[in-house]
Order: sequence, then C-alpha cells, then structure tokens
Amino acid sequence: MSTVRVGLDQHVARHDPTHTGRGLHSRAVLTLLLLGAFVWSLLSVDWSVPLFHPGGGAAILEMAKSLVRPELSADILSLALTSSWRTLCYAVAGISLALFIAFPLGVLASGVLARTAPGRVAATVTFRGLLGFLRAIHELVWAWLFVAAIGLSPFAAILALALPYGGILGRIFAEMLVDVPAAPLKALRASGASELKVLFYGRLPLVWAHMLSYSMYRFECAIRSATIMSFVGLGGLGYQIQLSLQDLRYSEAWTFTLVLIGIVAAVDAWSAALRKRLVV
Amino acid sequence: MIPSQRMSRNLFLKVSLIFFALLVCLSWYFILIEQEGALRQLFSPESKEYALAFLRDLMGVGYPKPAFLDLQRWKEALGLTYETLMMSILAVGIAGFGALLTVIPAARNAADGTLTLHTGWWSWTAYVVLRGAYILSRAIPELVWALLIVFIFTPGMIAGGLALALHNYGILGKLWAEVVEDIDLRPIRALRAAGAGTGQTLFYAVLPTVLPQFLTFLLYRWEVIIRTTIVVGFVAAGGLGREFRLSMAWFQYTDITLLLLCYLALVFLVDFISAGLRRLAR
Repeated sequence: MSTVRVGLDQHVARHDPTHTGRGLHSRAVLTLLLLGAFVWSLLSVDWSVPLFHPGGGAAILEMAKSLVRPELSADILSLALTSSWRTLCYAVAGISLALFIAFPLGVLASGVLARTAPGRVAATVTFRGLLGFLRAIHELVWAWLFVAAIGLSPFAAILALALPYGGILGRIFAEMLVDVPAAPLKALRASGASELKVLFYGRLPLVWAHMLSYSMYRFECAIRSATIMSFVGLGGLGYQIQLSLQDLRYSEAWTFTLVLIGIVAAVDAWSAALRKRLVV
Repeated sequence: MIPSQRMSRNLFLKVSLIFFALLVCLSWYFILIEQEGALRQLFSPESKEYALAFLRDLMGVGYPKPAFLDLQRWKEALGLTYETLMMSILAVGIAGFGALLTVIPAARNAADGTLTLHTGWWSWTAYVVLRGAYILSRAIPELVWALLIVFIFTPGMIAGGLALALHNYGILGKLWAEVVEDIDLRPIRALRAAGAGTGQTLFYAVLPTVLPQFLTFLLYRWEVIIRTTIVVGFVAAGGLGREFRLSMAWFQYTDITLLLLCYLALVFLVDFISAGLRRLAR
C-alpha cells in the first residue's frame, strides 16, 4: 500500500494481516451478526411517533433554495472571516498543546524505556489507561465540562481539544514506537546504547515522518472539532452557523458552512500533499 | 528519487514546517496577547473557587442524595445508555448500507474499467458525482448535520442516527473506495477469463477480497460513532446526550457524573466488542 491513508483506522488496518486463511466462514458469521444488530436497532425505534415535522418538506425546499444564493454581503463575509480565524486559532493552539501531551505520554505508554518486563507492563497499563480515558470522552463533552468549570474562556476550547487529541495521538505514537524494525535497535544496543539513546537514535528517526504525517491528519480533524466546539458558546464558525439557523436565515448559514468546507478542503489538500512527501 | 525531485520535496517540507510554526505562534499570540483578559481570568482566585465548586458538585459533596447513589436514577440512565447504543448501531447500519451501494462506482478502477472491463462517460460521471458526495458528506460535522436534520425530522433516534450516518457515509465511502482501488486484480482476471459476468465477478472475486477490510473499517467507525452519539444527542435526539444537556441546564451536577460514568462504560464496552469482532473479521 503506497499511499498514506487517513487516520487511526488505516494505521491499525495496515497491520491487520488480511489473509490468515481462516476463510470466509467467520466473516459470514460476523456479517450476519452485524446485520442482526442493525435490524434489532431498527426494531427498537419507536415508530409510532411521526417521523417528519409537518413543515419539514417546506424547510428542505427553503434550505435547498438558499444554497444557490448564499448571503454574500460584506458584513457577513467579514464576520465569516473573523470567526474562521478564531476557529483556526483554537484548532492550532489545541493541536500544539495536544502534541505536548501526546509525546511524553506516548513514549511512556509504549513501555520502550522500561528495562524490566514488569516495569514495562506497569508503564503500558498505567499510561495506556490514562490515554484511553482522555480519548474516551468526546471533545464537545470536555468542552462543556470546562465551560462549566472555568467559564466561557478560549482556554476551555483549547483544553477541550488538547485532552482527547492528546489521548489519540499518544496512543498512535506509542504503537508506532513499538512497531519499529528490531535490527537497527539491536545494533544500537550491542554497541552499548541505553534504552533512552535507543529511543532517540533508533526509534524516533525511523518513525518521526509517520508521526508528523499522522499529526497532520489530526490537525485536519481538529479544525472540524474546533468548529463544533463553539456550540457550547465558545465563538467561531460553528456558533455563527447555529445562530443563523436559529434565526431561520438559511442563506447566511450556508455562507458559513461553505467557508467551513473551504477551510477544511484547503487544510485537507495541504496535509495530503505534505503526507505524500513525508512517507514515501 | 532523482535529485531535483528530492530538493523540491525538501523545500515543500521546509516551507510547510515554517508555515505551521508561524500559525502556532500567531494562534498563541492571538489567545495570550489579544485576549489577555482570558489568561488573567483563568488564574484569578474567583475562577479557582468556581472550578473547585464545580468539582465538589460533580462528586456530590454536600448533596443529601447524589444521583449516582440512587438506584432509580441508575435504572433510568442505563435505559438511556441502551438507547444510545441502539442509535449508534442504527447510524453505522445506515452509513454502511449507503456506502456499500455506492462504493463500486466510486472506485477509480471501476471508473476506468480495470475492474468492470467496460468504461464510458457514464462511469466517470458516477465516479465524480459520488466522490463529490463523499467529500460534502464528510466535510460537514455530525453536529451541523444534526442541526439541519431537526428541521425536517422530529427529534429522536432516527434523526440522531441519520445525522451520524450522513457524516460517516462520506468517511466510510472514501475508505472503502480506497480498499477497492487497492484490490488484487489477478483473481478477477482469472474469473473473467473463465467467462464470469460482472455480477459474478463482483460477488465471487471483489466482495470476498474486500470484505475483511470493509468490516474492519466499519467496526472502527463504530468506535468513533459511539463517542459522538452523545454529542448528536445534545441537539437531535434522546439518549444520554439529551439528558446530559438537560442536567447541565438545570445544574444537576451529580446527574452529570452518573451520565459520564455510563458514557465511559459504554465507550469501553464498544471498544472491547469491536476489538473482539475485528479479530473475527480477519
């Protein structure tokens, strides 16, 4: 697989040996299991309540109509620009803080520094557990908790982004550090290097490109998350989208949404170009 | 790699790195200097007092009967947890079916005919339209989809599931299409040589090859979706999310603790199930 693909999904999927010869049988069972779960979830829906709002059709039409004529007045455009900048700031500050959290925790959670086997187990269990806790809670839930704790401050948004992203990045960093080829490390150890030196001169040079590439992908995600962040009142693009929708001003909402799509697409293209060159 | 390519690659990397560093500096400058009040406020004695009070409330200090010690409240919360789980499965199912129906025409090797052996303007049109739909669908966050959907659907499991599914449709479609593009063509050629039709090739060569990775990606997305279901519940639906929002609005912080415990348990449960099922998928 030559191209570096998006996300945790691929990072792990790449390591999945696809053809282990267990055959189609267990897959068929799994497919049936998943289908059954889906049907069950359909059955658990309360179908007696009406599915659509009475005015739903009209609302769709109205929304679709305003897509072709988004609001392009100078006021709205400058508002869109300032709120995009705010969203971008939160995303960049959040991801940079997340990297600060992820790197040390990731190194500790990989257990590569431990000299003895029990020490390694203790380190992996503790720090993987910590990382798992950080990423188990969605960033918006973190945001809401931080807003309740420290009020509507930009730091609530930044911390709420940095904690779960630190958890995700840390876990991936840990896996990458463990998964390096053993031969160069053995050579280093044979020449008397300590585990710390092996980390800096053996492991990191082998994986830093992958680490950067994955962080770049996470930066893309952080922009989307930063947009959502504003739904708890933290300002930015998402907040404007929400306000416009509440006032039923669809054409304004579309302007902000299109700006969001534009930013995400731009960062997407940049990070794709970067990742293609990073991991050859 | 020829030297000039290497140089342009390094230049691009260098410029990107400088640009990103600049962006980091500017952002922190904006947050620390432009909004310096925020920093001062963060470290003021009042906000420390405020944060501590919030933590005390979360832990139920001074409450006669915190919600997380109330059996009745646990029962209600577990019911909501079940509802949230069902909503996530619904979302995965809808997104999965949608992506499954569109993924073959959205793969480049189907559009240029290496997979299906015939091509034309229609297959390229389908490719471009579907890839565009994937991009649009995943560019809009779940929460924005949810805000749009509640205009049309009554809030509930279907609305929440659809909002989640609409965002994940684009992600899953893109991931699956790349799996189809990376497919080993030899079994397909062998079947073709033996006289199999398009449907037969799809069913006997393409599907068995891509199924393990399709299922793996589906289960990974489920892990992500379960974390997001609570967020979509804030606006579009029942489940833990709506209750979380209501408890926040009414300052019932011990309820928040209870809901967070259920949420964490659900996330770890799904991670565990998904890891087990993924082993089955290989």
